[in-house]
Amino acid sequence: MNWAIASRLDLRPWLAPIALAAVWAITTSGEHGANPQLIASPVSFIAALLQGLRDGSLPGAILSTLARAITGFFIGTILGFSVGIVIGLWRRPRLIISPTVDALRQVALFAWIPLLSAWLGNGEAMKITLIALGAFFPVALATAAGCANAPLPFLEVGRALELGRRVQVTKIVLPAAAPDIVAGLELSLNIAWLGTIGAEYLIGTGYINGMGDGVGAYLAAAREHARMDHVLVGVLALAIIGLALDRSVALLSRRLFPWQSR
Amino acid sequence: MAVALESISVTGTSVEISGVSRVFRVDGREVNALRDVSLTVRPGEFVSLLGPSGCGKSTMLRIIAGLDRPDAGECVVDGAIVRAPSLSRGVVFQDHRLLPWLTVRENVLLALHKAPIGQDGREARVLELLDLVGLSAFAGAKPHQLSGGMSQRAAIARALAPRPRLLLLDEPLGALDSLTRSRLQGELLRLWEHEKVTVIMVTHDVEEAVYLSNRVFVMEPRPGRVRGIFDVSIPYPRRRVDADFVALRQSILDILEREATAAELTC
Repeated sequence: MNWAIASRLDLRPWLAPIALAAVWAITTSGEHGANPQLIASPVSFIAALLQGLRDGSLPGAILSTLARAITGFFIGTILGFSVGIVIGLWRRPRLIISPTVDALRQVALFAWIPLLSAWLGNGEAMKITLIALGAFFPVALATAAGCANAPLPFLEVGRALELGRRVQVTKIVLPAAAPDIVAGLELSLNIAWLGTIGAEYLIGTGYINGMGDGVGAYLAAAREHARMDHVLVGVLALAIIGLALDRSVALLSRRLFPWQSR
Repeated sequence: MAVALESISVTGTSVEISGVSRVFRVDGREVNALRDVSLTVRPGEFVSLLGPSGCGKSTMLRIIAGLDRPDAGECVVDGAIVRAPSLSRGVVFQDHRLLPWLTVRENVLLALHKAPIGQDGREARVLELLDLVGLSAFAGAKPHQLSGGMSQRAAIARALAPRPRLLLLDEPLGALDSLTRSRLQGELLRLWEHEKVTVIMVTHDVEEAVYLSNRVFVMEPRPGRVRGIFDVSIPYPRRRVDADFVALRQSILDILEREATAAELTC
């Protein structure tokens, strides 16, 4: 009983953020506080947060970032899943495609920017492509590995039951690979999220194309205008939304594969 | 027993194994899992392949199932050489191997994908089988919600679903506690009589073999081969404490013990 209440009101995850906020408040308060050019005080941070919420710039930035991340994530993971299935299920395509995929994934995501911007410019197409490219690899590799490593005992059941190739794949191989695929999806979402911020921050901001939108561009603008309070608001927004995305995917995968936890 | 055999030989199939050898390569060394094994199982019989681990009994069963191929010799079931698995030969593995993402009902249904009885007929057959193995209340359960004994019942239902004429059991009760085990042994006998199939069971439990089988093939390892064949002419239902039962169990144990001693001496 006590234990149940204690676990429901568990305060431990909040200890570190509260401690950080306390250190932050102490170091930035008073006349001898830290240089406001290096770190904004909690008061100016809250003011910037409220202002961003009131004039809609912060929710707007968050929404465009989320929309961009999710679009890129879907495109990248659908392609990644398809390629992963082909590599995982058929030997010949695996021999042909797999080494190339392995080589390409060694290229850091942002190293694609010069090439992609030459082809696609600095607009939305470029950003979405970059995000999709980041999301592509984890799910492609996880799907391929999951399909190729379907447990032999279950495959034997399929043989003993005279299942055709299609039923074997839909009833045995894919369900067996599902936890791997979900792990790949989680990683893809994470990379899509990080890639989105990077794309918004690095691509199409500045004087040539005007400012883009999204939290990344919000951060770039804050830096441009030396608004440390806005920088902190942007960073905090990224942390909270990223965490929320991560947790919802983890929750979803626990719901989908209850036998995994046994 | 003669009467029992006649009444059950209606649909069961015969099995003829002649000169079967199987060699595995382990760490560059050749291991003779089976060498020149020949044996015959009559239609409707319940036989056991009994022996210590490494005697090739499971390999033999996998060859009969069509999951493995012999390097020499052949396995003929009902007049046809076995080349691939078939729904006419139901297999039950020691680790029940129910698909964890399907319910009990869906697992059994999967075995009926070729049955020419329509969707309604398949659903009816699943219910009939779950009723037969006492799992009607668990049709919608996932395997991880079942106990070991219940999982094995479900696996048996899955193997029996397409009405096989030969049931192959690979230590089906080996992972169960002794109470569940002896209850399921009784269940197996009941199913055998009800479905009128030929049963070949792999086991390392002498009592189980004597309790269930018409005949017991005692096997020995290195190389895997049949050491002796025991007719169990005790009428069903058998009692584990009867003098006949105890005496037969003891003489089989004696053979296995001599084997083990000989194996130690040669090692």
